[in-house]
Amino acid sequence: MEADLICCQSPDSPIHGYLKLLHLADSALPIGALAHSFGLETLVSRGLLKVSNLEVFLRGYLEESATAEAVFCREAFRLASNGVESFSVERWRLLNLTLSAMKPARETRSGSAALGRNFLMVVSALGDFPVVRSAVEDAIQESNQNHHHVIEHSPAFGLVGGALELGEESVVVAYLHQSVASLVSACQRLLPLGQTEATRILWNLKPTMIETAKRSLSAHLDDVCCFNPLLDWAAMEHPALGTRLFIS
Amino acid sequence: MLILDETAKRKPPATYAIARINASLDLNFQYDAARRTTVLAASSQEPPLKVVRAFRLGDSSALVHLHNVSGGLLGGDELAMSLVISEKAQAQVTTTGATRIYRSRADAAPAIQRINVHVGQNACLEYLPDPIIPFASSRFTQDTKIQLDAGSGLFWWEVLAPGREARDELFAYDAVEMKTRICALDNPIAIERVRVQPRLYPLSSPARLGKYRYWATFYICRVGVEPNAWLALEQQLREVARELSPAADALWGISTLLAHGIVCRCLAIHGRDALAGLHKLWRAAKFALYGTEAIPPRKVN
Repeated sequence: MEADLICCQSPDSPIHGYLKLLHLADSALPIGALAHSFGLETLVSRGLLKVSNLEVFLRGYLEESATAEAVFCREAFRLASNGVESFSVERWRLLNLTLSAMKPARETRSGSAALGRNFLMVVSALGDFPVVRSAVEDAIQESNQNHHHVIEHSPAFGLVGGALELGEESVVVAYLHQSVASLVSACQRLLPLGQTEATRILWNLKPTMIETAKRSLSAHLDDVCCFNPLLDWAAMEHPALGTRLFIS
Repeated sequence: MLILDETAKRKPPATYAIARINASLDLNFQYDAARRTTVLAASSQEPPLKVVRAFRLGDSSALVHLHNVSGGLLGGDELAMSLVISEKAQAQVTTTGATRIYRSRADAAPAIQRINVHVGQNACLEYLPDPIIPFASSRFTQDTKIQLDAGSGLFWWEVLAPGREARDELFAYDAVEMKTRICALDNPIAIERVRVQPRLYPLSSPARLGKYRYWATFYICRVGVEPNAWLALEQQLREVARELSPAADALWGISTLLAHGIVCRCLAIHGRDALAGLHKLWRAAKFALYGTEAIPPRKVN
């Protein structure tokens, strides 16, 4: 009976939107996320991150950096949700520039910028979404004029979510989930972390992801803070590692 | 102010409210071409903030010591500081001692310090304060805005201590919020927004401080220097950092900013390792960017 209900859904139905969101948040989406550890490789190599403290680490990440990213994701969602007529390119640029300036590590900045750019390009190839098109065209135009313009991953995810009307809370939580899943995946390659344990950690963190999304709802863009000094240090020191599996 | 803090429990709330401080300090440094030196051309001071005089350094810089004659900040205090380094001037600003943040009453607003800085064309500011020490149950907010003009330079560090270590008072404060925004030619190149709430979010997390206690951040900027030169300096400073304390005592991270600068971050067990390292990185960066020696500020303590 449920299968019949699903078959009756039109292409614009909520369940179709849900499937799109699942797709966009999938780690298999070809944007290059698997190539980045965002500093985890340094933490592991220096013995500061182990399987035993990974869940605590990720909880700290969600409470700090991920909360900041969620605020920007949400802001971009709102920027795009009213259609291309009210989409402000200046505001979009400012969002990305601000978030980029908040990241002290060069590799984290460039890694997030690569994912953000790739994400918009992948979505652009899936259909014509005017807000997304406008953001991509602006990036190309700025690049042609040799202006420094970055597209960060979390605002890019929010922008697409808003443009596709996928639901603000769902988009923010999906962003957080794919972000943590990506870090857990990196840890499976860096640590003796098996599938079952990795799955358990990701499962246990879902309530914290929801809390993080709630916190981002009340945070103002000009007031968002984060304090992940060990992670920042690790990302800053990643270029100095002798042997590296990851770009960041 | 120190006396008030110690007797706060015996004072009625009205007395406490009257004792709140709202003060400002404005300093304007200018380059005196005739004397080939920087002078403190104008200053406006309200107690408890005070600068006695400017000292001339060997490289034509002017050095001033910031005094807080009340000894520190109490909940509800609002201090504002403005530093203007005019074209070609070179200023060095330090403190006479640690910035102490006293215990806040439960109903008091946080102690607030606002710093506005403008470094003019081809001017340079070295801001080298002592650590900030938040006492138990204190709340502190610092909001710093820095504007850099073409060719200007900046060496700016901040060190956050865990509390009064000698009393075994570690991370007993309520909250410390530090916001720093550095703009070069009106574009943000670094935005730091940190809110530390040890009781709400454990600092021993491997995503936060882990086993380390001190946290320091050091911005090194010179507007107009090419990106490749910053990458080279990043590598050079990383090598300097390798010679500093062993990783068990302190960790040093070095990275280029979006443009026009570098940020160094330190996590240390002891404050002395953080401060010694900051001085070494400052010396190396000053020589690389200006070809001159860094001159440590004269201190009585």
